[in-house]
Amino acid sequence: MSNIDMSKARTGEKADLPYGTLDLLILKTLDTMGALHGYSIARRLEQVAERSEDRRNSGTLKLSQGSIYPALMRLEQQGWITTRWGVSETNRKVKFYSLTRAGARQLHVEVANWEQAAAMVARILDAKA
Amino acid sequence: MTIKRRVARLIALVRANRLERELNDEVRAHLELAEHDAIARGLDPAAARRDALRQFGGIDQMKESHRDHRSVRWIENLFKDVRYGLAGLRREPLFTTVAVAVLALGIGANTAMFSLVDGVLFKPMPFPNPERIVRIWETPTPATSNSTTTSTFLALKRQSKSFEALSAESLSTATVAINGEPIRLNGRYVSWDHFAVFGVQPLVGRSFRAEEDEPGADRVVILSHAAWQQHFGGDRRILDRDLLLDNEPHRVIGVLPAGAFDRHKARPLDEPAGFWRLNAFTAEEVAASSHWLNPVGRVKPGVTLAQAQGDVLAVRTRLAELIPAWKKDWSVKVEPFDRLLVGDALRQSIYVALGAVVLVLLIACANITNLLLARSAARAKEISVRAALGATRGRIAAQLLVESLVLGTLGGVAGVALAAALIEIAAPLVPGLPFTSEITLNFRVLAFATAAVLAVSIVVGLLPAIRMSAGSAAAAMNNASRGSSGANDRARRAIVAAEVAVSVVLICGAALLFKSLDRMQQVDIGARIDRVITMAIDLPFARYPSGDQRAAFYPVLIERLRAIPGVTDASISGDVPLEGTGGEYLRMPGRDEQLMVRFKRADAGYFATMGIGVVAGRGFTPDDRIGAPYVAVVNEALAARLRDRFGIAEPVGQAVDLPALGFGRDRRATMTIVGIIRNERVQRDLRAPLDEIAYVPIGQAPRMQVKLSVHTIGDATASLPAIREAVREIDPLLALADIRTMEEIWERSLSGLTEPVWLIGIFATIAALLAALGLYGVVAHTVAQQRREIGIRMALGARSNDVLALVVRHVVLTIIAGLAIGLAGALVLTRVTQSLLFEVSALDPSAFGAAAAVMALVGVTAAIIPATRATRVDPTTALGSE
Repeated sequence: MSNIDMSKARTGEKADLPYGTLDLLILKTLDTMGALHGYSIARRLEQVAERSEDRRNSGTLKLSQGSIYPALMRLEQQGWITTRWGVSETNRKVKFYSLTRAGARQLHVEVANWEQAAAMVARILDAKA
Repeated sequence: MTIKRRVARLIALVRANRLERELNDEVRAHLELAEHDAIARGLDPAAARRDALRQFGGIDQMKESHRDHRSVRWIENLFKDVRYGLAGLRREPLFTTVAVAVLALGIGANTAMFSLVDGVLFKPMPFPNPERIVRIWETPTPATSNSTTTSTFLALKRQSKSFEALSAESLSTATVAINGEPIRLNGRYVSWDHFAVFGVQPLVGRSFRAEEDEPGADRVVILSHAAWQQHFGGDRRILDRDLLLDNEPHRVIGVLPAGAFDRHKARPLDEPAGFWRLNAFTAEEVAASSHWLNPVGRVKPGVTLAQAQGDVLAVRTRLAELIPAWKKDWSVKVEPFDRLLVGDALRQSIYVALGAVVLVLLIACANITNLLLARSAARAKEISVRAALGATRGRIAAQLLVESLVLGTLGGVAGVALAAALIEIAAPLVPGLPFTSEITLNFRVLAFATAAVLAVSIVVGLLPAIRMSAGSAAAAMNNASRGSSGANDRARRAIVAAEVAVSVVLICGAALLFKSLDRMQQVDIGARIDRVITMAIDLPFARYPSGDQRAAFYPVLIERLRAIPGVTDASISGDVPLEGTGGEYLRMPGRDEQLMVRFKRADAGYFATMGIGVVAGRGFTPDDRIGAPYVAVVNEALAARLRDRFGIAEPVGQAVDLPALGFGRDRRATMTIVGIIRNERVQRDLRAPLDEIAYVPIGQAPRMQVKLSVHTIGDATASLPAIREAVREIDPLLALADIRTMEEIWERSLSGLTEPVWLIGIFATIAALLAALGLYGVVAHTVAQQRREIGIRMALGARSNDVLALVVRHVVLTIIAGLAIGLAGALVLTRVTQSLLFEVSALDPSAFGAAAAVMALVGVTAAIIPATRATRVDPTTALGSE
């Protein structure tokens, strides 16, 4: 099963989210923030991206908020995150997601993979001659 | 994908509804939170709502993606289509009932038929390594099989190296007193390792031991499960007790498990055996040249049939100097046991019937396809709406196929239930099946039914699915109100024509078989059939040790029987008509020539009792007894043969040399032919050529096992109590066995021949009715479609005959096309029945003509019924309705 296709909705000034990174971002968010419901996860991802130091790329991570739900479902099926029902700020019953132990391990693996891949890409781009 | 996810996705399948609800809740909560935030940022509620939706992105796309990822999508679709299909079928109960009933009939008949094929042809014999069980025959000619002699068997037993176990089987009967009532049991003489041949262990007790078939050993017996249950109440205390078989004590050492041996139908040993005892050959038997043993053996592992054959042949060749000159040309053959069980005729009948029932299923499928096509017109609108809403062509075709699968499955379930009922009712009625066959709905049969359902669903649904998913949405929407397109009508007519054609083939086959059966029933038996009852009596050696004693018993019994009111005649003979009789050589004194003839013992009353006329000379008299000059009678066929072969113009008065058993085995005597009688049929097979028969007086050649025949004025079975009483008065220890009327014996001759005929007749009838249903449907549909046109024509003054002609014109062409194709097909296909036909050609024109006429009549009738409805169309309502 491939990761979900994030390319459809993003055009113009919004950059595509690199393939396969949404899962990583969600896991990282939950690792940092603890249990969150879907809306908070989406908002958190947007806010972190907006606070970027690099002004040229600021605000380019404009994902459709809805696209996190298939990703959440997938992560839950993998056993990396778990859900429980809670009550939102608007007093509505809502699912809270939190990282499992397996999810924390997976986060390490994915971070390592990402760094390795990013470093490799950077080396190739930097190679002058 | 990890296993965990695979499992989760499968679980998601069954939780689809809940997951969908949870997702909706989450989306709603998300939007609410987003709106809340937007209002907090100072947007008005309407703008906040828009903003929340914009931020969220495409909800439906996301949901689709969610569904795609959370479970196995095609299965989820399948579930949905199944539910949808079921709902559709519920909405149209009439269509559903007809379609399911037709499919149930087709699939049920096929499943039942397949269970027969499976039970008889596919299933291995219920013994370990059944392929190693063989029978050994002597072969006077390559095409005939004969029993073997004691000396040949003993040589095989001692010298052959190919067999793990080798047993000589022969028929045995014995009278046993059970609760004071004499009962005759059928059994077998066998060798001690008989059950090792079949790999069967007794259920209780033990099997025979090697030393027990030595002469002089204590007599022992093993009982069949059926006999143990029926006569001894399944009592284990029967073990190690003595059972008096013909007044001789036999120690019961074992009882076989229930099963195969209780259903013994294998020829030449036709009756199920109730007991097995050992053949301790006497010196006299070893010396005799009588062919009475049927060896059955288990080939050693790794020894091929050809090697066993070579081995047996070598043993026989070494025996050559002991074999009389006239048997020098005989050979031996080793034949797999299962091939004997399923004869060519049975195999052929089963395959023909299977072919016929498959054709019935094809017609049933065609009918359902037609119904689906007719329904497709009504559903075109629904389909085009779905297409307009974005369902792909493949998705629509898949949905339609799933619908036909739902229909097929319903039909299949009903069909399997029908098959179970058919097997329950009909299996015990099917005669002549080998004893190893057991007809059940086992997993192979159910797998066949499943395969049939899948095949039927695809065959039935494919054409409608392709047609409906192919039609352009716009065209369908436009056409929907006008009914189906012309192409659809043409397809339906072609399908109905094919149905007619297939039915014609089946009816032709059935007509040929019925004609053949009729011929068979017309065969002259040469003996009285009505009001004659026959039974077997064994005179036990212990009490009737000499020929004289036996010969003295017969006339006493006959005299007593003739005194019973209502009895016109009674006789004792070796065999009765149609039940077979032995073969012996007739020799002409002074010539080195011999003739194989049928040999029958009869008393003075036999020819009168059986209504066999004397043509020349005389029949037998009570004076033809031991001590009087030997006499014989020949039938017309033998008289003709004597004329042709030996130039004897006047057989009466001629001396011939024949066996006169009863004075020890193999004694022959020269006897004078005293009369010629009409031909009677002695073989069970009515198709066999007339036999040449020599009769000798049973008073001069008495034997222990005889048949009693009684001819009565009224119903023969009504005299049975009086006959029993008469026998009891003379000897209370004698049992009457095999009680059958001549009518039953005659019907048994036809059995195995009539059943396939009726079966195929039933299949042909179903086929014709299904084709008629198809024709009916097409015409009814045409009438419904052309109401407007008919209305206009009638308003313009057309008479009802004109309208009828308009409607029927097409269908008559359809029927004619179907008849033509069907007759052409029948010319090719009915050939497969040739070997089943008796005195009828597979291309018999009268049968073909009758079949075509029947189909034409049925077809036109089916078409006329809905067509006359067209003539009653009221122009005003018809024109107003659209």
